[in-house]
Amino acid sequence: MTRLAIIALLATSLPAWAGLPTDPYGSPMWEYNVERYLGNVAPVVLDEQVQVKVPPFAENSSQVPLTVDLSNYPLPIREMVAWVDLNPIPHLFSLTPGPAPATLVSMNFRVQQATTVRVAVLDDDGVWHLGSAFVDAAGGGCTAPSMTAANPDWEQNFGTIRGGAFSRVDGVRFKFSVMHPMDSGMVDGVPLFHIEHVVLRDSASSDPLLTMNLSESAAENPMLVFEFGHQTPDAVLWMRDNNGNEFERKLGGQP
Amino acid sequence: MIRRAAIVMLCWLVGAPVVSAPELAYNLEAREIAKGTWVIEGSTGNFSRDNGGNIVNVAFVITGDGVVVIDSGPSRLYGEALRRLIESKTSEPITHVLITHHHPDHAFGSQAFDPDTLYMLDGAREMLEEEGDGFSDNMYRLVGDWMRGTEVVVPANTLEPGILDVGDHRFQLLELTGHTGSDLVVLDETTGVLFASDMVFYNRALTTPQSPGLMIWAGELARLEELPYRIVVPGHGPIVSDDSAFRQMADYLGWLYQTLTASASRGLSASEVMQQPIPHRFDAVEGAEYELIRTTTHLYPKYESSALVLLPE
Ligand SMILES: [Zn+2]
Repeated sequence: MTRLAIIALLATSLPAWAGLPTDPYGSPMWEYNVERYLGNVAPVVLDEQVQVKVPPFAENSSQVPLTVDLSNYPLPIREMVAWVDLNPIPHLFSLTPGPAPATLVSMNFRVQQATTVRVAVLDDDGVWHLGSAFVDAAGGGCTAPSMTAANPDWEQNFGTIRGGAFSRVDGVRFKFSVMHPMDSGMVDGVPLFHIEHVVLRDSASSDPLLTMNLSESAAENPMLVFEFGHQTPDAVLWMRDNNGNEFERKLGGQP
Repeated sequence: MIRRAAIVMLCWLVGAPVVSAPELAYNLEAREIAKGTWVIEGSTGNFSRDNGGNIVNVAFVITGDGVVVIDSGPSRLYGEALRRLIESKTSEPITHVLITHHHPDHAFGSQAFDPDTLYMLDGAREMLEEEGDGFSDNMYRLVGDWMRGTEVVVPANTLEPGILDVGDHRFQLLELTGHTGSDLVVLDETTGVLFASDMVFYNRALTTPQSPGLMIWAGELARLEELPYRIVVPGHGPIVSDDSAFRQMADYLGWLYQTLTASASRGLSASEVMQQPIPHRFDAVEGAEYELIRTTTHLYPKYESSALVLLPE
């Protein structure tokens, strides 16, 4: 709390660099987090085509659904970064797409208090396009012990992966869940234990469809959704956690 | 002028004695819906500092040999106002306070009543013991001062399903599960009033966080509708003397189930489900968007999981 307050103080006293628009949500962490995750060189524009969908309030602070919908976003995507402004560790994920970027990304995150959520997408000209949303919350999602670890059977289910491929008018949607406590390291006596890397590959060519790094704001037992608009590859999912456990599964293609 | 006003304000703030918050009062009013049968109808809103949690229907029956109360309301203050209201209508003693389920709006006024008169189903009692404090924290956060002095009281007496005779009235007590896993429904066979509690919501979106399943609820609802009732007192929403509350409730449950099932089979994310529009035929249902977010949070993961297949290593 104190650390957050100090950071907030620092953030408000930093001068805005040229090209950073005013935050429509007035978050105290706006400049600080933009600089932290996007740097202070590349220009940033607010872009409503980067649709960030979250509920107006968190019914469960440990599992708040986020969907990034880029179906109306017309430009190429080089990178995607998501963060939760007022979480102790705001970063949620960074994603590097393959040649045909996902048009939709979804996962659940934790919230420690009411906060803005940001998703920034880097185009070919080096401009960050940023979308935002606000979620109200009673809080505590980052420091609440995981439900998984509280369940004595969790080790049996650890690493269980369920998945599916759903056909779309154009393309395919992959959805999968993995049983993993995703301990944030913020609960006393429970060290950080979470999935860090997620890679989807085209099973034929082995080319990556996307690579993703997850951080502490990701919710336990992650449920991930990726939709690809213009191709229907067979995909292989590979994940690794910070303890070195690796998970690999075939996700199948369009049924 | 503005500056002067500000200075006056400041002086007033500094110089003013500590003023206590305005006295909170529920101003409960009871309506007689059948012989000796009174209902205090709450709003169809959410818990708030404006309504003090008075969003619930509470009832009492003057039987000729004691008063049977159905639910005690959201707070100690409410329970006390309820008891005074009952005492203004009859000199008969309150012999039974039946708490229909463990939700705070129904069970948190119990301090106002003699502990020996408090009754609850066994399953509901256990859940109140387990989850009561969590509910209580939440209520203090949501309705604030109205909760002052409220403590969780777990009824001393276990209620068995079956027949309860009090005075001139014969009550049929039914144990159901659809809303929370342990839900009491009371049919007054003498008057035909069905106290459905939260097994039936009318013109108010149903709350599902503890529901064992929407189709379990729908099945039990169909059973309830078979009962020889004349008047339905829903847990939330207006009292009706026909089947309109049952019709809407069944339709709404069916729609929720269809929505979650179809969404899961299309691979939708939870936030996509939450943003789906509510059909216009439910325009009269208060809080539908809000409750869809809650229902999706609590129930959708199961639907999602069953629409995915176990992937072998
Ligand atoms: Zn209830």
